[in-house]
Amino acid sequence: MHWYLGRIGQYALVLLAALSLNFLLPRAMPGSPLRFLAGEDVGMLAPAQVAEIRARYGLDQSLGAQYVTYLRNMATGQWGFSYQLGKPVLAAIRDRLPWTLLLVGSSLLVATLFGIFVGALAAWRRGRGLDTASLTGAIVVDSLPTFWLGMILVAVFAVELRWLPIYGAYTPWGPRSGLPYLLDVLRHLALPATTLTLASLSGTFLVMRYAMLDTLGQDYIRTARSKGLPERQVLVKHAVRNALLPVSTVVFLNLGFLIGGATVIETVFSYPGVGTLLFQAVLNRDYPVLQGAFFILTVSVILANVIADLVYPILDPRVRGSGS
Amino acid sequence: MSTSGVVVPSTAAGFTHPRRRRDGTVGAVLFGTSSSTIGTVLLAVIVFVAIFGTSISPYDPRDVVARPYLAPSAAHWLGTNDIGQDIFSEILWGTRVSLLIGLIAATAAIVVGTLVGVVASLAGGLVDQVLMRFTDVVLTLPFLPLAIVLAAFLGPSLWNTALVIALVIWARPARVVRSQGLSICSRTYVEAAHALGGGFFHVLRLHVVPGVIPLALSQFILATSGAILTEASLAFLGLGDPIQKSWGTILYYAQARGAFLNGTWPWWVLPPGFLISATVLGFALVGRSLESVLMPRLRQH
Repeated sequence: MHWYLGRIGQYALVLLAALSLNFLLPRAMPGSPLRFLAGEDVGMLAPAQVAEIRARYGLDQSLGAQYVTYLRNMATGQWGFSYQLGKPVLAAIRDRLPWTLLLVGSSLLVATLFGIFVGALAAWRRGRGLDTASLTGAIVVDSLPTFWLGMILVAVFAVELRWLPIYGAYTPWGPRSGLPYLLDVLRHLALPATTLTLASLSGTFLVMRYAMLDTLGQDYIRTARSKGLPERQVLVKHAVRNALLPVSTVVFLNLGFLIGGATVIETVFSYPGVGTLLFQAVLNRDYPVLQGAFFILTVSVILANVIADLVYPILDPRVRGSGS
Repeated sequence: MSTSGVVVPSTAAGFTHPRRRRDGTVGAVLFGTSSSTIGTVLLAVIVFVAIFGTSISPYDPRDVVARPYLAPSAAHWLGTNDIGQDIFSEILWGTRVSLLIGLIAATAAIVVGTLVGVVASLAGGLVDQVLMRFTDVVLTLPFLPLAIVLAAFLGPSLWNTALVIALVIWARPARVVRSQGLSICSRTYVEAAHALGGGFFHVLRLHVVPGVIPLALSQFILATSGAILTEASLAFLGLGDPIQKSWGTILYYAQARGAFLNGTWPWWVLPPGFLISATVLGFALVGRSLESVLMPRLRQH
């Protein structure tokens, strides 16, 4: 119980840090915070609109009072208004979030399964060809800029070979229901998800390999082998199952990295997720959207951590014992 | 290897070589294994280009010297970009920008991270708790979106980019240095120094800081490789200084100005990406090599 309280406190701090940063940044910059709260086009707004913004953010009040107003607005879903997009920030994010979740979720799934498989195999055949090759591969892929990897895949598979679409998440004016729509979405997902999977593969792979090497050296593996169990059963039932424990924590912690990767990959593929929204907000200096996107990504990372905290004790009874 | 920890030391990743010289000299770090030799050679080439690139570049990359979108030729080895600037010269000049931002950011991050780490480990108690809570908060925040927001507010410039990157990457070295500091603080000679009346700063300066410096150095090299990757991502998202183009900025313009649609990508997109990868790989290989040379020595104490 004490352990959970500590974690909750930690996440509350992270949340507060993100909120405070979003609150302070527009107000700490030189010049009027209006430019940051309304976007670069503030000069084109009518006086009535400016007055409305000043009132909404309580800009005439003290900083403390503004902070309280700000927190209340965030809690009630008033995340500001994007004059560039012509809609509330929260509405803009809500349109984009499902695509990011689809991209990150599918990549996380594939990268995890593949990383576990290759990691276990590499550890089992330690020092052999596959082990060396996959370790080298992990180092090299980790050195590639994620967005550049995406650019290469676009160039080869979309531009030159024309196997897959170049950009977007679905064909405009294409099918919008049923199996044709699903296939269309999957075809558009293939390249960005492959990029993100490749970019995030090494984390799971390295941890799985290391954990597997560790379990393979344990006494119970020798016992299992000397009992005459088939090697396959020793590996799957004894070694892999135990090696999965440390992996399960990294899977969700990887999510922070994946979300960063998704931001640049969505930009490469013009994939209509939160990352592209963030990119367009950067280009247009649309600060409210910028901050909203950052906040929702922070919340996503926290939620992933919470899931990891809840899942881990289920997988490993020892944590339950030492945790309380 | 009895505990199934989550942290994977790079040495466990199979990069220690049986024939590695264990004397911990500079030679062993740079040329001890084939992978560290590759890293050293890569870095030597990149550093050479960073220093002399502006002198050997055929054109000033800021000048319009030919028609836009030219294919590679004897006059323009990597063709020209959307406004007729020489891409080869842009890349040579960009080397210095990318490397400089990476080094400045990593230096700042390591100085801050090391300070936080040693102070936390030596002070212990409430100071340690507060510092580590703060460190964990920074570690939990999604670091690229955080960097994007900070960079967008600060505006594009070489120093701002370096500052932003330092702000988001100092936390990991702080954690690593703290755990090393804790192990130093528990040793008998530090206890003896305390017992003989050595004050906080005395012990910090004479025992803890020298003890963590080798570790901080390997963290610095790894942080540089991370910083260069982060800079490339930020620049690719349009947050780079358009006057001092880095490799990432070149790729931003290539993407924005249709390098894929007009077929110029093989010479506009590939070379900057190769250089980023080579540099990051070089730093990573040398950093890992240094780490694995240091680890056995650090553990012996």
